Amino acid sequence: MLKQATITLSLCVALLFGAAACGPSLVIQNVDYSQPIESVLTPDGDAMVHDQRFAIKFSISSILEEEGVSSVDEIRLIRNRAGYYFVTAEGFSNVYVFEADESELKLAKKIEISGDSLGQPAFNQRDTYIELVDRATGQTYNLDHN
Amino acid sequence: MKTLLKQRFSLLAVFLLFASTSVVAQQSDYQIQQDFRAELSELTERVETAVTTEELSEIEAEIDRLEGQYAEHTQIINSAIYPDTFDGSLTRLRNAHTAAMDDATIIEELNERIDDLTAEMDVFRNRMEEMNVEMSSLQDQLERAEANETRQAALLRQYRQNIDQRNEFVSEFLEELLSKYQTMDRTTQQEIAEAAERLDDNPLEMIQTIVIEYIDLADQATALETPDFVAMRAQHGYFVDIWERIGERLANTFEPESPVSAKEEVDDLLTAWLLSVDNQLWNALDSAFSQNGIELEPFASAEDFNTALNSFVDNAYEISLERNSEEDHEIYRNFSSFWNNTVKASWGDLLVEGNVLSHTDIAAIDLKIADWSDASAPTSNLMFILLLISIAIIIGLVILLITKTRKAPPKKIDK
Repeated sequence: MLKQATITLSLCVALLFGAAACGPSLVIQNVDYSQPIESVLTPDGDAMVHDQRFAIKFSISSILEEEGVSSVDEIRLIRNRAGYYFVTAEGFSNVYVFEADESELKLAKKIEISGDSLGQPAFNQRDTYIELVDRATGQTYNLDHN
Repeated sequence: MKTLLKQRFSLLAVFLLFASTSVVAQQSDYQIQQDFRAELSELTERVETAVTTEELSEIEAEIDRLEGQYAEHTQIINSAIYPDTFDGSLTRLRNAHTAAMDDATIIEELNERIDDLTAEMDVFRNRMEEMNVEMSSLQDQLERAEANETRQAALLRQYRQNIDQRNEFVSEFLEELLSKYQTMDRTTQQEIAEAAERLDDNPLEMIQTIVIEYIDLADQATALETPDFVAMRAQHGYFVDIWERIGERLANTFEPESPVSAKEEVDDLLTAWLLSVDNQLWNALDSAFSQNGIELEPFASAEDFNTALNSFVDNAYEISLERNSEEDHEIYRNFSSFWNNTVKASWGDLLVEGNVLSHTDIAAIDLKIADWSDASAPTSNLMFILLLISIAIIIGLVILLITKTRKAPPKKIDK
């Protein structure tokens, strides 16, 4: 009886592995998602921003709430080589790093900028990192998603 | 608390791995490409609105500066303006600049040409007005000096000089027009047409004015004689020749909206001018022949005049053949003298230029006159008389010889 049960279980496990082996397994490595120039986006009345060139549209309400501000004139958005989105705006104290997922952006990191809030922030795409420049103060920060 | 501080420190250490501060103003790639786009756009707009070559030369220097200033950011700009490129956008700007420069050069040349044309028209109009005043004054003086023949002759000489000057001046003007417009292409015609509205007097209007003044001159020229009217006809012929060569171009250039009717207006004026000249010319020619004892059949055209001349010579030739009288020979001599010394010598070239008689017509009459000369010369009887005398002498001698022969005694023969 036990032997029969063992055989049945082994068959089920073999079938399960077989089915898994037949499923999709293609993976492309070293994808470069880097956006060469940051996008400067103006939110609409519903705090939605839409980057037509790089095809992304989302609400910045939760970011504004996190920063404790009601509105901004424009936000700056750039995607690094690994595919993480970096978001900030004038008056922000942080840079938000998001990871793209199915119909959502998940906060991967929140980078606090030392000192006062950002005066005139701008992202530059660099080889291995994202450069954050505060043109008001001349300070630069080399950012990574890790 | 300690853990929290440690975590924050760790985050900063990781995320601000290569953080640095600099007193030098940092550049934003986004701003660089935005500035480039803005400057490119501004220069493009300036190229589109520029109207002088000077302005465009300044813009060219700025295009060079723009290219030099942003050359190091080519990659950023290429990324930002994809699918366009830094080089592509500058090439388009330079092409637009070159085209604008070509247009501006054409416009400036055109403006210069219009200014020259305006100046020429002003000079021409002023000179024509001066000559009109002089001519009007001379006409008045001629009318007042009817009693004084010497003074009238002097005034008439001056009047003719004035007409010659006018003809010469108008001819120079027409030559100028001919050299400018005879070979002008359609594009240039259109360009001038667009700017021609700025002209107070354009060449087409000037030509109309000239012809109207010539008509007045012909109508009012009571003191003038055949050579003057023949000269007018020659001037008309020259005018028509020039008009046929450039009339259509002038009408297209200066009356682009209704070139056909504009040309017809001048054509009609030229016809009226010829009619005015001819009215005077045929009367003057008839009088001139009549005053020299030559009564021609009535004529009112160049063809009629030629027919009248031929008819006169043909009739006179026939009469000379029939009668062969001294009187007929005198008619021949009178006609031949007037024909050779006045008509051919003084008026010949003008008659040909004015399309009154052609060289062929003159040569044909010359041939007839030569025949007429032979026919009209009275034949002499002297030879006939001498012949008769010779015959009489011969007969007399023969009779005398016969008579002597009969009277002589026969010779005796001695045996």
